Amino acid sequence: MKVLAREGHLLIVGAGLAGYHTARGARLNGHTGPITILGAENRPAYDRPALSKAYLTGAVSESDLALDDPDQPLDVRWVAGLHVAGLSEHPLGVLTSDGEFWAADAVVIATGAAARTLPETNPGDAAGRPYVLRTMDDALALRDICLEGLEVAVLGGGFLALEAAATCTQRGASSVIVAAGEEFPGARRLSLPVGQALRAAHEAHGVGFASSARAVSVTSTAAGHTVHLGDGSAVAADIVICACGAAPATSWLAGSALRLSPTGAVLCDDFGATSIPGVWAAGDCSEWQSQSKGLRPVGHWQEAVEQAAVVAAGITGAEPQPMQEPYFWSDQYDLMLQGAGAIASADEVRIISGSVTTGDLLVSYLREGTEIGILGFNRLREVKRWRKQHQRKKAAVLAA
Amino acid sequence: MVMLVRWAVTSTDMSLKVCSIDDLRPGEGLRIDSINPPIAVFLTEDGEVYAIDDTCTHQDASLSAGWVEDCRVECPLHESTFSLVTGQVDQPPAKKGVRTHQVHVSGGAVYVELSTAAPNLPPGVIVA
Ligand SMILES: Cc1cc2nc3c(=O)[nH]c(=O)nc-3n(C[C@H](O)[C@H](O)[C@H](O)COP(=O)(O)OP(=O)(O)OC[C@H]3O[C@@H](n4cnc5c(N)ncnc54)[C@H](O)[C@@H]3O)c2cc1C
Ligand code: FES
Repeated sequence: MKVLAREGHLLIVGAGLAGYHTARGARLNGHTGPITILGAENRPAYDRPALSKAYLTGAVSESDLALDDPDQPLDVRWVAGLHVAGLSEHPLGVLTSDGEFWAADAVVIATGAAARTLPETNPGDAAGRPYVLRTMDDALALRDICLEGLEVAVLGGGFLALEAAATCTQRGASSVIVAAGEEFPGARRLSLPVGQALRAAHEAHGVGFASSARAVSVTSTAAGHTVHLGDGSAVAADIVICACGAAPATSWLAGSALRLSPTGAVLCDDFGATSIPGVWAAGDCSEWQSQSKGLRPVGHWQEAVEQAAVVAAGITGAEPQPMQEPYFWSDQYDLMLQGAGAIASADEVRIISGSVTTGDLLVSYLREGTEIGILGFNRLREVKRWRKQHQRKKAAVLAA
Repeated sequence: MVMLVRWAVTSTDMSLKVCSIDDLRPGEGLRIDSINPPIAVFLTEDGEVYAIDDTCTHQDASLSAGWVEDCRVECPLHESTFSLVTGQVDQPPAKKGVRTHQVHVSGGAVYVELSTAAPNLPPGVIVA
């Protein structure tokens, strides 16, 4: 692994969570050379989670979500509104859409992901396109419409979809139907009790669920949208929100020698090093070895933050912190849902306490009889304790 | 901070009895909802009692449910930690520290003298 000289130029592509934390980590590790962050969006780097929650209800503003601290700004050159169009190996650097070449001593790819959409018939018709939720512009477009009296269909069964459904209900939509692709949203990934608890919480707020088939396409006419599901059923709506996942934003790397996964993610080892020396990747655009093996999740906030710190350590020659147990959270109505550990590899799930109807469910995930994960609804104390205790155990094992 | 000495003066108008020392468990926080915005009282493993604002400055999460270690509490939602002594925050996502409140323990009761500084509540959270 090639360590960047202290005075070398660190070039970060993508002004998002992973980009910010890579720069922050490099500075903390004593990097003194210039750091440039090129970002396609025309605004200061911001944190995304609130876009489907408090930002969408209007409770928080753009400046509340800024990643950089105005009182302690990073010593970084931010270049906003500039699209990076290509990567060069020799000489190392990137090409931007304005035709300029940016030479670098190390390049970190942190371009995140782009919202997936469904095939549309008659897109751009008077009913408008389906909405997505990835960028602040996306959220702003949805925030700017008055939902009162409108019928909303939300496509997708992940947290983004459920959070969008919750905020639309809170904002007065006359009906909200979720096409989750399964009967109990999240059940496949997180177990049946969790899916039941999520569905119960949404139904208690008046949200309905379409059949368990996946949404496959959307037809739009001047009168509105029709969402077609895989089993032939359909959902009519005034507003469609497509929250069907995200794909790595790496189309600009097509034609480079960089190894990509079949989904387009930048393949990395578990230090964030790519197949090209001096080029690293972190966050939603990347797939690290343990993620390819299914040992760690992709697309979570915590994953991007920790990967950025590991990359910053690798680039500067510092000792990387071991990754913690995977972690995610989601905020829906008055429920704070948190999950930690290797949930995907569980072969057994036990309800530790609470129930699927009382908003206090706490479940334990086991593999071959050993607890490997936890998930709680409004169980902040228990989940934090679990995470810290597992982190300690891990540190003890590594020290031994 | 435990200030048994200062407590000689007995309760002043500024001091509020918030809980009994027996309500506290070492290494855990107790949220006091009767105070607005709520505060969190902590008993450390070393037997010290501290009080800080309960609401994280990043988002609406109760610090009383956080993890206490080395006189700091780590937010239960993300990784920012706050000093129980000074209220200072160490790392993102929170940017601002929390207020600390003076604590007096007397006769098994915990009294708190609330800070007069403005609280650093997270965006979207207002004092009711
Ligand atoms: C609405 C929403 C809610 C979420 N809520 C949660 C949650 O509650 N809990 C949780 O754990 N996770 C949540 N996540 C996931 C989390 O926000 C992401 O994992 C995280 O943002 C990933 O960070 P990143 O830096 O990899 O990518 P991003 O934050 O997407 O940043 C990438 C940046 O790169 C820029 N870029 C892309 N291509 C180019 C290019 N060619 N040239 C220049 N710039 C480019 C993009 O414009 C973008 O600004 C949420 C995500 C979204 C979208
Ligand atoms: S809510 Fe406390 S750090 Fe985010």
